[in-house]
Amino acid sequence: MKFKKKIASRIKQFREELELPQKSLADLVGVSRQTIYYLERGSYNPSLTISFKISEILKKPIHDIFYQEPVIKNILEGKSLVELREIAELAGINLEKLASLSEIDDEQLSKDFKEDSLTKIAVGLGIDFKDLFEKETEN
Amino acid sequence: MSEEKNSYEGSISSSYKNKELLKNTISLGIIATAGSFFTWWIMLMIFTDGLSISGVVPTEVTYLLFIIVYSVFITIIVLIYLYNTVYVKNFSYKISEDHLVIKQGVLTKTVATIPYSRIQNINIVNGVFDRIFKTFTVKIETAGSSAAAASAKKGIIRPEGYIPGLKNPKIIEKKIKEMMTKFSAVPSGLEDKIFKPEELAFDNFISYILSKMREGEKLKTSITELREKANFSAADLAEKVGVPLQTINYLAEGRYNPSLALAYKIAQVLHCKIEDLFKLV
Repeated sequence: MKFKKKIASRIKQFREELELPQKSLADLVGVSRQTIYYLERGSYNPSLTISFKISEILKKPIHDIFYQEPVIKNILEGKSLVELREIAELAGINLEKLASLSEIDDEQLSKDFKEDSLTKIAVGLGIDFKDLFEKETEN
Repeated sequence: MSEEKNSYEGSISSSYKNKELLKNTISLGIIATAGSFFTWWIMLMIFTDGLSISGVVPTEVTYLLFIIVYSVFITIIVLIYLYNTVYVKNFSYKISEDHLVIKQGVLTKTVATIPYSRIQNINIVNGVFDRIFKTFTVKIETAGSSAAAASAKKGIIRPEGYIPGLKNPKIIEKKIKEMMTKFSAVPSGLEDKIFKPEELAFDNFISYILSKMREGEKLKTSITELREKANFSAADLAEKVGVPLQTINYLAEGRYNPSLALAYKIAQVLHCKIEDLFKLV
């Protein structure tokens, strides 16, 4: 069992370290300020050339700037403690275990969680199972 | 690979019939008791002079009165219990692809099919008696249903979707809400954040167009080299990444620039870094 992941970015963090305003970064890369804004928010998938250019300018490797984050992390962080308790109860696990889903990796996921609990957690969060997790394919 | 469940079915708890039994016993019991005392008092009036308390209701009559009332009461209660047993047995709901289907009825069987796009509201209620048996009722309100209007006229306000006697209403509520967001006009805020295979295909298409437009920006790729090192055929790689074979071929030819997401996936499958796979020239 694996987490379904999305691309998150640390552009803002590295940009601010260099004291580079959004507009300047945008000009250097050759895109609009709007694009940089959306990239920082994570609302859009950048092309590889843009990613390379940003990596060049910010002087950091691509996998430091853009990283894969489990979709579930953002969702769990948006829930209140009360909601999380409810969901944990629904799934028959304790709160700490549910919260650990934000921290653990794919390997740990397969070890600690059964598909059954994950299905209930998906129902509890109101999201399709297949948008949160993937079943292992022979790799 | 286990098969995907496209619908979710369930039935209601038998606690419902117990709850109804208790509720009806108490309410009818009160009516029966009050009614019999009232009748007895009327009979007392008939047997007396009105002012003098010389008359008395004969004991046999009193006994007869109470026996009749309570026999009727018990018969009704038993009938209600039997009715509800069948009601619980016949009650089923199904959360399928586009509709919520509720089947119920003892004498007249009804099947209510409610499309998710019509659902306005889901309420979970539990009354005094529900709380004793830990059951809940899920009420589903829909837009402009003639059934609701009709039953409102009769004075029994039953919304179009009515599922009583549930032990775990939250699961159903969440499932239905899930289906509702799929059918609502406004997409959930999550749509643009989730990496879906369909988006990948669209992404690739856009990337291809854009790369054709950007003449001076080419990427050099070592994808074929790294693929062969990992002992994958182009078809294998395409399958594992989840794109058509054509895409892998175009990438290998350097004909187009992939999105970051696609590059990431390929890097994952081939166990290498993105910078190893592609270089800006």
